[in-house]
Formats: sequence, structure tokens, C-alpha cells
Amino acid sequence: MATPRDAAPVAAAKRIRRLPLFVYLAAVGPGLIAAAAGNDAGGVATYASAGSQFGYRTLFLMVLVAITYVIVQEMVARLAVHTGKGLAALIREQFPLRLTAFAISAFAVANVGLVVTEFAGIATAFDLFGVSRYLSVPIAAVAIWALVLFGSYRYAERIFILLTLVFITYPIAAILGHPNWSQVFAQAAWPHFELSYPFLLLVVALIGTTITPYIQLYEAGAVVDKGIGPEDFKYERADAIGGAVLASIVSISIIIATAAVLAGHGALNSAEEAAHALRPVAGSAAEVLFGLGLLGAAALAAAVVPLSTSYAVAEAVGVERSVSRSFRQAPLFLGLFTAQILIGASVVLIPGNLIHLIVNTQVLEGVITPITLLFILVLANRKSLLGPAANGPVARWVGGIAIGAVAVVAAAYVVVAILGWFGLR
Amino acid sequence: MARILQRPRRADEPVGTDPQSGASAVGSLTRTTGGRSLHMPLRRADARRHRSERLLAAATVRAAIVSVAGVIGRPVRNQSGDEIGQLVDVVARWSDGQTYPPITGLVVRVGRRLAFVDATAVEQFEHAQVVLRSARLDLRDFSRRPGEVMLGRDVLDHQLVDVDDKQVIRAADLYLAPVLGRVRLVGVDVSPSSLLRRLGPRRWRTRPTPDRVIDWAAIQPFGDTSQGALEVRLRSSHEGLHRLRPGELADLLEELRRPERQELLAALSADEAADALEEMEAEDLTRLLRESEPQTAADLLAKMEPDEAVDALRDLDEDERVSLLGRMPAAPAARLIKLLAYPEDEAGGFMTTALVLADTGDSAGEVAGRLADARAHDLDLDAVAVVDDDGLLVGDLPLLTLLLALRSDAEVRVGQLLEDEEPVTVGPEARATEVSERLIQSRRHSLLVVDEGRPIGRILADDMLDALVSTRGRFHFPQLFE
Repeated sequence: MATPRDAAPVAAAKRIRRLPLFVYLAAVGPGLIAAAAGNDAGGVATYASAGSQFGYRTLFLMVLVAITYVIVQEMVARLAVHTGKGLAALIREQFPLRLTAFAISAFAVANVGLVVTEFAGIATAFDLFGVSRYLSVPIAAVAIWALVLFGSYRYAERIFILLTLVFITYPIAAILGHPNWSQVFAQAAWPHFELSYPFLLLVVALIGTTITPYIQLYEAGAVVDKGIGPEDFKYERADAIGGAVLASIVSISIIIATAAVLAGHGALNSAEEAAHALRPVAGSAAEVLFGLGLLGAAALAAAVVPLSTSYAVAEAVGVERSVSRSFRQAPLFLGLFTAQILIGASVVLIPGNLIHLIVNTQVLEGVITPITLLFILVLANRKSLLGPAANGPVARWVGGIAIGAVAVVAAAYVVVAILGWFGLR
Repeated sequence: MARILQRPRRADEPVGTDPQSGASAVGSLTRTTGGRSLHMPLRRADARRHRSERLLAAATVRAAIVSVAGVIGRPVRNQSGDEIGQLVDVVARWSDGQTYPPITGLVVRVGRRLAFVDATAVEQFEHAQVVLRSARLDLRDFSRRPGEVMLGRDVLDHQLVDVDDKQVIRAADLYLAPVLGRVRLVGVDVSPSSLLRRLGPRRWRTRPTPDRVIDWAAIQPFGDTSQGALEVRLRSSHEGLHRLRPGELADLLEELRRPERQELLAALSADEAADALEEMEAEDLTRLLRESEPQTAADLLAKMEPDEAVDALRDLDEDERVSLLGRMPAAPAARLIKLLAYPEDEAGGFMTTALVLADTGDSAGEVAGRLADARAHDLDLDAVAVVDDDGLLVGDLPLLTLLLALRSDAEVRVGQLLEDEEPVTVGPEARATEVSERLIQSRRHSLLVVDEGRPIGRILADDMLDALVSTRGRFHFPQLFE
């Protein structure tokens, strides 16, 4: 009988295949990957808008949003680890069918908004390189559709991921930009809220882009896919929390870096302005660097987001079988995927300011986010589902308050926006 | 209004005051459909004459079955029509090996508490209500007994395996009908249109739409898979499961979620499970091994063909690999460790070590006996490697040659059967392209991997086919960083 400490298997194991960079990255876990995927085109544009328009004044709320984000990611990881099921399947099994239909429709609407964001991101990036969106967006749409459909997407994906690493330079840019640190910390620690429509809109956008519904589904899917079970929960929890914290640091540093360079500049109108924030790191190459990062993040998400919608809908309807097969056998899956790309690309082709379009779609995310969060909270509270791993009283309260606050802000925005349509604001 | 009459479980059981309680199940079913036609208006009865028989049959079936999704949430009444409570769930038992699980009771919300009503107390199961037998009821607090499953909570909207069509389904609705004197679960609805019906207005929901229904006899159900209630494990598996081919089982294992997947795995014999695992996609197999108990995973790997087991081990992390190898019996562990030492892209890394060896002096009969012992590796047996007294390879004897020799003379020496032809071999460090070329040149189905003159493994042409066919078109979410 060989013992686990045998030298032979260890030696054998060590000789096995050299690992490419991506496998090392994968070893850090689904939480970190999900968090990295969260800083997409919408995130960068929204955080930069916040820094440009309000300087450091959104920081306090951003810290609260980040805390909520961490809490939610932990709950999602816990659900996925202990049940071995994705969120869509859990919702179908645990809630009445009508609520399932509501949750999945909300998720689908949010994702269509995100697809619009990502194509807007692609258009913005190509704008920086002097390519018209009427050329870049149709080509990108067809290319992404074909890449995913004909199976060679995995290679393109790696390039996109490498490009997104550009955003890691933001924390450095934030430090090199010599922000007014005393103001940064004061604004981050001092509780305050501005009662103005532009501020409320941007806060909802910050919520929507940080706690995007799609990231929750993605993280759950990734945990299930990796086969992480309850015995590894402490690692997965560290991974989920660590990933969320790291993503939040990048988000906050985008706000700080942009604020240091552009504060008082007013609403952000173009990608060139946003790229200024990277000047302290990249100098004159800032625009190119920013454009490449944006392109990578947007192109990556433009494929993954519509896929996640199709996956969730198929899972909820119960035609999973076709999902893991070829597209030809899965008309629902293929149809949904194609429709989203089509809608996303078409909306971006309507003339208008791209940065404003991105921020507005993040507002849509922010309005829908509380719905997804409520489902997650109820699931994570369920003792019948999670047994001893269900939320304890403290987690219930903290999670409830955080998610409740998000819901209140989103609801307040909706009320104000509706009043605005009737000229009552 | 259609209804299903509930007959008491045993003739000697005390029954309520109901005069119909002695009716047979068959009688009640006939009466049910007859009642429908009597109450139909004349005009509609006229129109119905022109309908096809098929529609009539469909209507009869629709009238005779009760939709679980529709009846849940509906009132539970006593004989005088007073509402006692609301139906929360229907409890069935499927541990006693019956094809159609009988309904054993109802979970009813009475005021603020959940009560259990035994099936014997049920007078009629209707589409939109349940009528109980007696006016006074002994309401027990609900606690589930072993082998019982709550259909609404644990089966409806959950994954099931359709053994006949070899697919994983999600139950859109469940249908009940009286069979052999009991109300039983008879079918599972899998059409997406039934989902739309359930989303629709109240009166749609209770109306069965049996367009695409799978007979419950073809279903491998799962127990309650939520935590803390694992006592409702499958005791017996569907016999149809054992007729499935390994590739079909592999598809099912890939599509199920973790709890259901583990139950299906537990329902298979170790050999069936190992065969199925060999057919699984690499990433699904990795996930399955990770989520299984380490000892179970190690046992499965030890039973798999060595080349497949090595592939699976390579996809795991180092500590996982070491832990699994440590839990295996010494012999397969040693064999796998040896194979692991070869790089994945060289012949040693993808060959199988399931070799049948023969000495030149062995008789054809003896070799046939050895082949019979190696029956478990049948897919990897293509020829017999013939070695001399020093264990050095002298020839590769095709099974056909051996078979024909056996027909004439079982005592013939293997050495005499060898033709002049050199055996087709490669070294352990040969690349896939070299292996393919050798196979193409020789027109053989397999070749031997030879190290210092000794045969150490075999590579089959179909292993090369696997390498050629990419996993293109097979989509998996989330696939980032894979």
C-alpha cells in the first residue's frame, strides 16, 4: 500500500506539464477571476465619471458599495460551494415558478444593458484609435458572434484578458497622481450624501457597475464548474472575499486617479478625458494604454455576458442538455445569444455620446441589482438549503441592511426619475 | 370536474362514513370520465362527435390526471365543503420498489401550522381541490418518514433522469392518477409550454397539459437532495440504468448537478461507474473526482483503464493526485505512477498498460484463457504481445490469427503462429505524429510501446482519433482561464 507521503508520486507529479501563465492565474480561484471580470468597460467609464464630476465626494458611498459587494460575493460563493448548483438552477428549484420567471427576466434585461455597455466600450476604444464606431461595432459584433459560435473563442479570450491587465496600473496612477490624501480619507470616512439628481444617478450607476447581477451568476457558475466542495470552503471564501476586495481597490483607485487629474472638470464626456488619469503612469502613451485596456475588457465581456444570459435562461427553463451540446441542437440558446449581440450592437450605432450611454446602462444595472441581491439573500438565509452554512443572525442583519440600503437608493432613483418625466423634479 | 377517487389502503382499515369508500380504483376511473360526459351541454356533446378519437382520448387522460403544480396551493376541504386548509405539498414514497410511487399523504397548512394528512383520509383528488373523507381530522404535525419525498419541494422543477431517452430532464409538472387502488405518480411533464401554463392565470394552472409526458416507469428519480435530509437516499436504482452504455451514462453524469450526480454515481456498480468515467469530458471528470469522497474517487480511478486514469490524474492538482494515489491499492497505484512519469504528449503518456503478454512457448488455449481474465479491458485488447524468455518482444499476435488457430488446434504454440512480419513498435518518448505515421504505414489497429526491447504498453488507433477530434463547438460557461 502506497502512503500519501510516498516520494515517487510527488516526483512524478512534479514532472507533469509546464503550466502556462493562465493556469497559474486560474489557480487563484473563481472569486478573483469574477472580480477581475467585473471591472469592465462600464466600470471604468462609471468610476472615471464619478472622479471627474464629483472629485472625491462619492468615495464614502463607494466604500459602502464595496462592502456590500464583498458581503454578496461571499454569500454567492457559499451557496455555490454548498449546493453545487448555479444561481439560476437554485432559483428554479427553490422559488415558485413565477418568481423564477421574474428573477430570470430581470437578469436578462440587466444583461442586455451590459451588452450595450460592452459594445459602447468597444466603440469608445476604437474611437481613441481614430476608427469610426459605424465601422468598428458591426465588425466586432460579427467577429465575436462567429468566434463564440465556431469555437475558437478561447484563444481570442486570452488576448482580451491580457489586455485588461492594463487596469491594474490604476492604483499606481492614483498614487503617482498626487491626490490630496487628507481629502481622500476625509471623504471616504465622513458619511454624507448629496441630494442632487446627478449625484443620485451616479451613485446608482456605481452600485450597478460594482455589484452587477451577471458577476454573481458568473461567480456561482465558476465555483460549480471547478467542483469546489464544502471541504474547500475556507479557501473559496478567502478567494471570493479577496477578489472582491481587490476589485474594489482598483475601482476606488480609478475614482481617485481620475479625481486627482480631472476633479472639478464636470461630467466626463469622452474617453480622451478619462485616459488623462493614466498620464502619471504612461505619459503620452496613456490614451493607447487606456484604449487597449478598454477594448480587452469590453470584447471579453461582450461575449461572456450574452452567453451567461443564455445559460441562465436555459438552466431555468430546463433545457440544460442542449447547452453543453452544439449550438445547432439549441435554438433557444443560440437565438438568445444572437439577439443580445444584435441589440447591443444596434443600440450603440444610434448617434449619441458613448460615455453617457455607458453610464446610463450602468444605472439600469443599478436598478435591477437589488432584485438579484434579494434572491441571493433569501437563498443564503435558508437553513433548509444550506443547513449550518446558512446565514447566521449577524449575517442576516448585516446582509439585509446592506442589500436594503442598495434597494432604497435604487428605489429613490426610480421615483426621482419618474417624477422627472412628468417635469416634477 | 374531474376527480380521482382515493380508495383506502387496506380493506381491513377503518374507513370513514363515506359510502363510496369501497369502490375499486378501476370503477372510480370509469365513473370519473363518465361523469364528465353526462355534465356536458348538448351542443358541446354534438360537436364532440366530430372530434377524432385521439382528442377524446387526450381529454379523457387530461380529466383523469391531476397536475401537482396545479393542485398545490389549492384548498383542502372536508366532506361538507368547508375549507380546512391549503395544500402545501404532496408526499410520495418511492423506496419500496414500486414502478409508480404511491401518494402517502398531504402536507396541509391549517392556520399557521403545517399538518400531515395521511392518504387514507383523502376522499378525492381533484384538479383544483382535495376533499377529505371525514369531517373531523386527526391532524398530525408534519414530519417526513424515511423513503418519503415531497413532490412539490423535492421533485417538481428538479432534475431527473429519463432512462429510456437517456437524458436529463427538469420536471415542468408531475401528474397523479389512480393506479391499482392508490393515487400514484404516473408521469412527468417536460414541455416548456407547461411552464407557460404555470405562469398563466389561476384557472390555467390546474389544467393538465400532457403533451410531452414521460412515463414515470422510465424515470430515475433522486431523493431529497437538500442538506440535512439525506436519509431519503436511493435504495434501488432503476434497472434501465444498467442497460445504458458507458458513453450515455457519461453524458448524464456531465449534465446533472452535484447532488444528483453523486446519487446517480452511487446507484451504479463500481465497474459501470469506472467505464462511464472513462467516457467523460476531461473537465467534467475533474470536477466529479474533486467533489467525490477521496476514497470513492481513488477506487474509481483504480478501476478505470490506466491511460484514462492517468489523463484524469494529470488534470488534478499535485496534492490531490498524491492523496488519490495514496488511497489506491498498491498495484494500480504503482502502475499509474509509472505512467505519470512519462510526459503527456509522448507515447508513454497516452498508452494503455492493459497488455496481455504471451511467451513463445505458451499454447493458444492458455493465451485465450488469459484474454478471458482481461475481459474488463476488452476495448484495449487488439493483439497479444509475444515475448521470449528474457521478456524481450518478438512479435505482436493479432486476435484474429489467434482465433483461427484455436479453431484448428488449441495446443499450438504461440511462437509458431507468429509471422515473419516485425511487430509495429514505438519508443516511450515518441510523439503523437510519429505514432500516427507508424499506424498509417502498418495498417494495424494498434501498436506496441517498447522500452529497451520490452513491451510496456499499447496505443490503439482510436486513441489517436480522440486526439484528432477537437472539442470544437462544445460550449462551456464559464470558460475563462481554462
